[in-house]
Amino acid sequence: MSAPAPVPNSPASQPSVVRFRTTRRLFATLEGAFHEEVFFLILSVFIGIFSGLAVVCFRLAIDWTHLALLGPLPQTHTWRLFLVPGLAGLVVAALVLHLFPGIRGSGVNQTKAALYIFNGVIPFRTAVGKFICAAIAIGSGQSLGPEDPSLQIGASIASALGRWLKISREKLRLMAPVGAAAGLAAAFNAPISAVLFVIEEVIGRWSAGILGSVVLSAVSSVVIVRWFLGSEPLFRIPVTTFKRPTELVAYAVLGIVGGLASVVFAKSIGYLRPRLKALPRWTQYFQPALAGLLVGLIAFLGAPQIMGAGYDSMDQAMHGQFAWKMLAILALLKIIATTFSFVSGTPGGMFAPTLFIGAMLGGAVGDLERIFFPHLTGSTGTYVLVGMGVLFAGFLRVPMTSVFMVLEVSGNYEIIVPVIVANTFSYLISRSLQPVPIFDLLTRQDGLILPSLEESREEAILRVEDAMLPVPAIILNAQDYVDANARRVQDSPDSTFLVHPHPSGWNVITRDQLQRLFQEGKGELTLASVLPVQSLPSLYPDLPLDSALRYVNDYLLVPVVNRADFRKLEGIISRDSVFQKYGGKRTVSTN
Amino acid sequence: MPWTLPKLVPRSAPVILLILTLAAAVSFAGVGHLVARFTANQQARGRTLYAQGLADISAARFDDAIAAFRAALTCDPTNSQYQLSLARALRDSNDPRRLDEAESYLIALWQRTPQDAAVNLALARVAAHRGSIEDATRYYHNAMYGVWNSDPDANRSKARIELIQFLLKKSAPDKAESELMALATALPPDPAAQLQAAQLFAQAQDDAGALARYLEVLRLDPENPTALAGAGHAAYRSGNYVTAQRYLENAVKTNPEDADSRQLLATTDLILRTNPFHSHISDAERNRRISAAFAQAEKRLTECAQQIGVDLKTTTTPLASSLSTLQSRWTATQPDLARLRSPGETDLPDTLMDVVFQIELQTSAICGPPQGLDQALLLISQKREAASQ
Repeated sequence: MSAPAPVPNSPASQPSVVRFRTTRRLFATLEGAFHEEVFFLILSVFIGIFSGLAVVCFRLAIDWTHLALLGPLPQTHTWRLFLVPGLAGLVVAALVLHLFPGIRGSGVNQTKAALYIFNGVIPFRTAVGKFICAAIAIGSGQSLGPEDPSLQIGASIASALGRWLKISREKLRLMAPVGAAAGLAAAFNAPISAVLFVIEEVIGRWSAGILGSVVLSAVSSVVIVRWFLGSEPLFRIPVTTFKRPTELVAYAVLGIVGGLASVVFAKSIGYLRPRLKALPRWTQYFQPALAGLLVGLIAFLGAPQIMGAGYDSMDQAMHGQFAWKMLAILALLKIIATTFSFVSGTPGGMFAPTLFIGAMLGGAVGDLERIFFPHLTGSTGTYVLVGMGVLFAGFLRVPMTSVFMVLEVSGNYEIIVPVIVANTFSYLISRSLQPVPIFDLLTRQDGLILPSLEESREEAILRVEDAMLPVPAIILNAQDYVDANARRVQDSPDSTFLVHPHPSGWNVITRDQLQRLFQEGKGELTLASVLPVQSLPSLYPDLPLDSALRYVNDYLLVPVVNRADFRKLEGIISRDSVFQKYGGKRTVSTN
Repeated sequence: MPWTLPKLVPRSAPVILLILTLAAAVSFAGVGHLVARFTANQQARGRTLYAQGLADISAARFDDAIAAFRAALTCDPTNSQYQLSLARALRDSNDPRRLDEAESYLIALWQRTPQDAAVNLALARVAAHRGSIEDATRYYHNAMYGVWNSDPDANRSKARIELIQFLLKKSAPDKAESELMALATALPPDPAAQLQAAQLFAQAQDDAGALARYLEVLRLDPENPTALAGAGHAAYRSGNYVTAQRYLENAVKTNPEDADSRQLLATTDLILRTNPFHSHISDAERNRRISAAFAQAEKRLTECAQQIGVDLKTTTTPLASSLSTLQSRWTATQPDLARLRSPGETDLPDTLMDVVFQIELQTSAICGPPQGLDQALLLISQKREAASQ
């Protein structure tokens, strides 16, 4: 005979009810804790985890493709080396044209466009297509890198997650850069550089609101990658030295050469890309293949180092494995190979090729300088590292990322001064000879106009002090009598007057108000006693002029005070002065 | 489509996070499985390439070996053995440009396992290639006191011997000798090891130490021709001619083709036959030897003067003056020879032989190393001088 079922509300059912209530209370507490900001931060960690996992798979896919197509030990002068990149190019072209349109190129621009134009939407299909096509292209030896595709894969995953969770449009827009940082950090194994790059290039402006999420996602993705693939750095860093400040001249020369090389590289891409895109559609089936054949030919003839990302060759260059002539040739060949691989529309990134060109150029310049000036103490490895930063600063035009990237990759702060000096020269030369940065150029070629941190850096910011009028000759004292104040303003051409604060705050009064008070028989009263109890808002001279706009419609005069002493008047702001500074023709009377 | 995405409902947040956690865990496991399989395949491929590299090393094809080890490392980037082998191949490829890369691999390994003797030994060899005594000594010492996977005693001795050879090559005999002292205390009773140590002592010009090691070898292997000759040579260099004669005779008997030992034996015999200070000879024999040496010295002086074209009667040049002074001293001392037989002239042999030694030393410096009896007299003088010091 079975036992009778417990009767509801009977003593036997009490424990389960208590448990249920406890769980509900727990859930209710948790729900209260998760407002959208907190949830977004937690979500950033998950974005980092998923992006990290995707990048791990992406790197495995590239390695596997490379092994399958080129073998573990590629030999020069073999037909396989010559043909594989071209044949893989045909496959990639077919996939891009028929299955995954919109995955051409690096992916940085597309991510930025998603942020600013498409409300944070990057189709998940993009991640899949980028994953497959970039793995085939890079694995087969096309002269492209895995970092930018990783960035786009991360952004695409983040965007898909945001849409699945139906988060607000405002937050969804921010998902793409958060995912981008995670993808790039995982690919580079360098979270600081990834965060800075995303701020400098993808977001295009400093935004404190998103910084926490970007950092969290970048760090969590790096943790994932290190968990699976180990924490080995990209390069084995040799001993790097910087002993004498006079040697900065040598690094400045490297910066100049790097800047010029950046311009050549950027102009080549800028010139060829629209022309190849303008060719008939059927040619797009063959453009990646032809680029692949060019890469294969270079490798076949004796420079297989230029294939793929080329990290192994950079590592060898860092340890002085190539003579300066070979380094210079490799830099030149890599510029040619990457230009054609990229403009052909093959999906893949420009980070690794940029580092490669910089490394080879740095090594070549350093070795050459040491031939003429044997007393220079910098090792080849030092010049190679500095060279990487130089091309980063000159070609990608991300000066802060370029400095931190070298420091993060090398783990050596001794070379920070040479890096900054060389990068500055490279950046300035590149900026003067190629005014539009490469990513902006590519965006404009695609018909999009996106904000740029470089442009915003150069924008002149108007501040309160720019529109500030001098301290007025007459400032009324709130403790003086009304009739005394009325006499003071009698001969003044102004119609509005500031009243000195007591005990705190500034006030304002017009000539008419003073007259009226006098006529009402309040001349024997102090101004403080008859003025309405309200204090004017005040501004500081260093505030952006935009902040004055909030007040000038409501107040005739706004005092500009010293930050250290609010009683000390630095000047005044009026509607007229603000609009005149903005260049408006409208004249508004302060009366 | 207009944007209608609702703001995230806070109530669902814990559930969503739970789902995301589960999804992450499942993805994590899946990727982990994928990575494990890929890694296993890569490691297998790496082993094949590594074996190929080792074969290339055996055949002294260093470039091929380097390429194979590099490829093995791309398959298994953290494998210490591959890194060590690549570093060794880079180091041994006789390309100075590759030393930097070899060193960076080794430094990375050293940072992970500073106690690894093989890594320290490889670093010591890189430092030795660079000629850095300080670094090489440090890493050799690390290797000696580090952890060896097999046969630690023998490997430690080998490392120390390598260090000694390096120090001797870099002309640092003092440092080499201190290492030799340490080596001698830890040597196994093995004739080959003792013989090698004895030769190193000899290279470090520690003849007493060398003789002691050779005698140890002869205790273990009495007929060892190398040890016999080595002992004879060491004893000869340290001025112990009686001992040298004994071992050189045995060396020549054991290995009649040992021309060096034969020649040295002849010189030793001559020294022993002509040394007037030998303790087991009669006064008459001593006097005879002094007279013969005195006559030989004059002959040597005359021949030397002729060799360089100097007239001993003139003192126009410093050389002529020097030889002429010696001639005058010899002439002034010659009458004293007659007093050798007189009792009570205990200092006279020393005075006469002092003139002989001065002549032999000076002529040796001016006219080059002598042969035969003059060589014997010169060696006797050197021994005498060393004894007096």
